[in-house]
Amino acid sequence: MRRAGALAAIAVLLAIPLLTANQFLLHLGITVLMWTVLGVAWNLLGGYAGQVSFGHATFFGVGAYTMMILFLKLGLAPWYGMILGGMLAALVSLPVGYICFRLRGPYFSLATLAVAEIVRLVALNWEALTNGPVGLLITTLPRVGLGSRVLNWESKAPFFYLVATLALGAMLATRWLSRSRLGAYLLAIREDEDTAESIGIDTVMAKVTVLALSAFLAGVAGGFYGLYFRYVDPDAVFPIALSVEMVFIAVVGGLATVEGPVIGAIFLVSIGELFRERFLVGHLIFYGLFMMLTIRYLPEGIWGGLRRAFASHASA
Amino acid sequence: MRPVETFVQSLVSGILTGSLYAMIGVGLTVVFGVMRIINLAHGELVMLGMYGAFWSLVLWKLDPFVSILLWTPVMFLVGMLIYRFLLKAIIPGGELNTLLYTAGLSLLIANLALFVWTGDYRTIKLSYATLPMRPFGIAVPIPLAVAFGIAILITGALYAFLTRTDLGRAIRATSQNAEAAALLGVNVDRISMVTFGLGSALAGAAGVLMAPSLYLYPTVGEILVTKCFVIVVLGGLGSVAGAIAGGVLLGLAESLGAVYVSVAYKDTIGFVIFLLVLLFRPSGLLGVGKS
Amino acid sequence: MPLLEVSNLTKDFGGLRAVSHLSFFVEEGEILGLIGPNGAGKTTVFNLVTGFLPPTLGEIRLAGTSLVGLKPHAVTQRGVARTFQIVKPFPKLSVKENVTLAAFMRLPSRRDAEMEACRLLDQMGLSSKRESLASDLTLAEQKRLETARALATQPRLLLLDEPMGGLNPKEVEDASAMVGQIRNTGVTVILVEHVMRAIMRISHRVVVIHHGEKIADDAPDQVVRNPDVVTAYLGERVA
Repeated sequence: MRRAGALAAIAVLLAIPLLTANQFLLHLGITVLMWTVLGVAWNLLGGYAGQVSFGHATFFGVGAYTMMILFLKLGLAPWYGMILGGMLAALVSLPVGYICFRLRGPYFSLATLAVAEIVRLVALNWEALTNGPVGLLITTLPRVGLGSRVLNWESKAPFFYLVATLALGAMLATRWLSRSRLGAYLLAIREDEDTAESIGIDTVMAKVTVLALSAFLAGVAGGFYGLYFRYVDPDAVFPIALSVEMVFIAVVGGLATVEGPVIGAIFLVSIGELFRERFLVGHLIFYGLFMMLTIRYLPEGIWGGLRRAFASHASA
Repeated sequence: MRPVETFVQSLVSGILTGSLYAMIGVGLTVVFGVMRIINLAHGELVMLGMYGAFWSLVLWKLDPFVSILLWTPVMFLVGMLIYRFLLKAIIPGGELNTLLYTAGLSLLIANLALFVWTGDYRTIKLSYATLPMRPFGIAVPIPLAVAFGIAILITGALYAFLTRTDLGRAIRATSQNAEAAALLGVNVDRISMVTFGLGSALAGAAGVLMAPSLYLYPTVGEILVTKCFVIVVLGGLGSVAGAIAGGVLLGLAESLGAVYVSVAYKDTIGFVIFLLVLLFRPSGLLGVGKS
Repeated sequence: MPLLEVSNLTKDFGGLRAVSHLSFFVEEGEILGLIGPNGAGKTTVFNLVTGFLPPTLGEIRLAGTSLVGLKPHAVTQRGVARTFQIVKPFPKLSVKENVTLAAFMRLPSRRDAEMEACRLLDQMGLSSKRESLASDLTLAEQKRLETARALATQPRLLLLDEPMGGLNPKEVEDASAMVGQIRNTGVTVILVEHVMRAIMRISHRVVVIHHGEKIADDAPDQVVRNPDVVTAYLGERVA
């Protein structure tokens, strides 16, 4: 039953660009899907392992800059750059974890925040590598042929399908993790790290592994960001606000679930983008408001709440 | 400027700014000590103080160093209301939940301010403060000097309050051991409310004092609270003396770093120190980091 | 060769010496009782053996190989499991999941791990509570859960930290019988306890610790007659 529902949803998703040419709607869809990837990425570490990172922008930005720099300076096609961006982000996550995992709980969160800020300021100042505050710009994307036709980069459709694939891949990865031994171990670590150690769980390895996976996904999303928006600067890809938004999407949507980040992304990003269209600033008001409402009234997130409602309805 | 002068100049700047960091840090640490809350919205309370000073100058021609008498009690009240109607219900949910909640509150306040007051940078220009004082040839901006003086007064008053009054002692007792304090008849809930009010008042006052010396924009709270948390964590969560020392040290480190290392990377200094401490003290910060 | 050999074990916390030049051994198949007045250092010894604390001095050997410097999970993988004085179940996970997680160490497949978990829960009399949340159990049940969880790691040596604390007399009897049963399955047991009747009855040998030092190491009936032991528990004048 759930399988059929999921397949139907995926089919609808993939059909969207065929059903509408409305540029705003497609842009909204792309943004929602990109944030889904980010929410999923964050959720692996924050939801499953219980390590609340406020610095995930680090990995997003590393991915974005890697893709841009490889394309602009070495001519490497953005899709390869995206993957390499993810891999570099995963590599960067090793020293980050080494430093930050010494701490637990809120102290870990602060440490990740400190790391992200340092990275942002380095990107801002290391002009030789990143062009500093001026940022990096892609003027033309490479020609891609599909059979007899050429991809039209002016249309939003190719981007939509690309990011949809990323989002689905990320969610599949989460599903695999949630059913694996590592996933079970992460939930134990989330409950009580010392007790987890005492039953033979190598907590350090588990955390390092999930952080690398999480960083990889965030980095790939960053690469996509560069490809879609074609412009990257330190304040766009490394700001605290970005890290915080990732947290909110995962928490409001539902921690430690496969579907939670999607719901969170759809909900928050849509409201945010619609607000931004009309009023330009302040769209994060809703992020703040819904985070507060979620923690107060619905700690398991929207998806968690829906699941509970369906479960009790089914048994009633 | 001769090297000695440069050095003294940056020392002075560092201490002046540091005193304001210290004030913000003390508010944070006191709240953590009593309630074990990490209040990420603290920066927004500073921001509200800043804008309070701005608007009361623009609308009512009140000098910030006068309007501080208005805004401090107002922020005290605001703090108590936030505790009573928002935070009280959240605290039983745990440290991490409270952290996330205050993160949400922070975003809400900052973005409401952004929406209402726009993101345009504002400045406060005081007629008597356009030129700095020059004792011994060291340039000392007047607003910063006055702020420093008032900050010392406020911190001194706070210290006296915490050590000499019954309420202050109750706060310290609760900070050390809430259960024991409760057993001794301390109304922990009331103490928590007063403490949060106090922390907010300190934040707001710091904002008012800083207003003439900075660019004002609604999201200024973000970077402030991050830096001040670094101070507070390094100085020892709950320790007022630690927060003061940490604040002044951060001010000095940033000031000296800006002159002798690099202006551009000034803001990273606090974070780098934070991470270096983590690296070389694997037991966590003063043993506090492990839950 | 004894299964566990502790030599000259010392632990300092700053100026406080919690464990002082402690040496003892446990033969395979024994039930060793570890007793001493409150604050004597018993739980610290457990923390040292299981790798939660690094020793200041001394050696800890399991079947000849040193455990010093290993992280707790590695010590568990070598075959040493423990329970805690204040129970530490994973509160929001089910009883079955609690034990399955521990079984995973030796049985990576979820199906195998769950089967083993069910078998152990059966053995501990917790089958009916399989799907309950760990936090919903009574204290006695939680202690049995923690024991089942420790056993799921297939230990050679099991360290039980006050398994009878907070239990009523009937529960204490059941727990005593359970310790005997565990030992009969081939697991060596070190037992820290305050409930004297129980520990004296089921232990083969008893080590007494006071102020971090060993003051007796003998069969139970000899230990109760040892004047140093009596003094330690009751104070100078009564002896």
